[in-house]
Amino acid sequence: MIELKTETRAGWCVVAIRGRADAETADELEAALRAAVAQHPKVAADFAGLDYISSAGLRAVLQAARAAQAANAEFAACQLRGSVKRVFDVSGMQHVLRIDENLPC
Amino acid sequence: MLTILEELVLLAVNPNTGELVSTHEFGMGYALVGAVFFDLALSRQIDTDTEEIRILATAPSGHPVWDAVLAEMRNQPGLRTVRDWIEAMFRGNHDLEGAALASLIAGGILRRQKSKRLWLIEVERFPLVDRPAQTRLRERLAGAILGDQIPDPRDIMLVSLAEPCGLLRCLLSEAELESRKQRIAMLSNLETISRKVSLAIADLDASVRQTPHRLG
Repeated sequence: MIELKTETRAGWCVVAIRGRADAETADELEAALRAAVAQHPKVAADFAGLDYISSAGLRAVLQAARAAQAANAEFAACQLRGSVKRVFDVSGMQHVLRIDENLPC
Repeated sequence: MLTILEELVLLAVNPNTGELVSTHEFGMGYALVGAVFFDLALSRQIDTDTEEIRILATAPSGHPVWDAVLAEMRNQPGLRTVRDWIEAMFRGNHDLEGAALASLIAGGILRRQKSKRLWLIEVERFPLVDRPAQTRLRERLAGAILGDQIPDPRDIMLVSLAEPCGLLRCLLSEAELESRKQRIAMLSNLETISRKVSLAIADLDASVRQTPHRLG
């Protein structure tokens, strides 16, 4: 189960993600992030409400970051907490995408 | 589109001789297992996190290798971690290389050639029929390593499996490999399955080094 809410604030499109990002919800997550990247030059994925992320979820984020790179858009993964932050850290995601402790707006 | 397993085996074919090359035989065995798990993950038959594998598939996929592996996984519910599964599949009697070769031959990419060495020993080679298929694959992976863009997850998976069995030497020079060492390590770390494959190979190497060698 995943909840995705998109809003625009101070020039940033913020995609708030709640629940679980796994194989069952990865397509939904990737589609929401890609749609944001296609329409906005600055996208922040807000992970504050995310409780769990699997490898499939991580790949969805990676694909969205690729799409942002291809579109010359800014993409930041923000407010990583607990086990989700640990998964990002262990995988070394900070080497491939921008990770911010707080939202940029 | 080829599977990760098929692409890994295609990468190991010497384009000049048709022989399968790898500088690390056991490493290749582990990498083949890792490739199947990646295929299962990409087709959403399984999902993993930093430690555990979860089976998602409820019906057969129709792919014989995937279904055989999934059936074995269902029969051993006690095994849960990625590491345990890589070890179990490595010890199991799955001819993953043979299955990938058969599929590449059926797809018109390789052909099987039998010959005799010293008139006695039968050897099998797999010359390329569709040489551009391997060239494209090699160029794609070289691009993922030499570039600074975020690669496609498939390419990340392949680079991370090709690295521990020495297959990256087939696509890049020693100088290129040296200059992109950090990038290769970074890509290899992104996926749980390849992190565990590398750990399994490192442990195997350590245990081989500790085994006392008999003299005489």
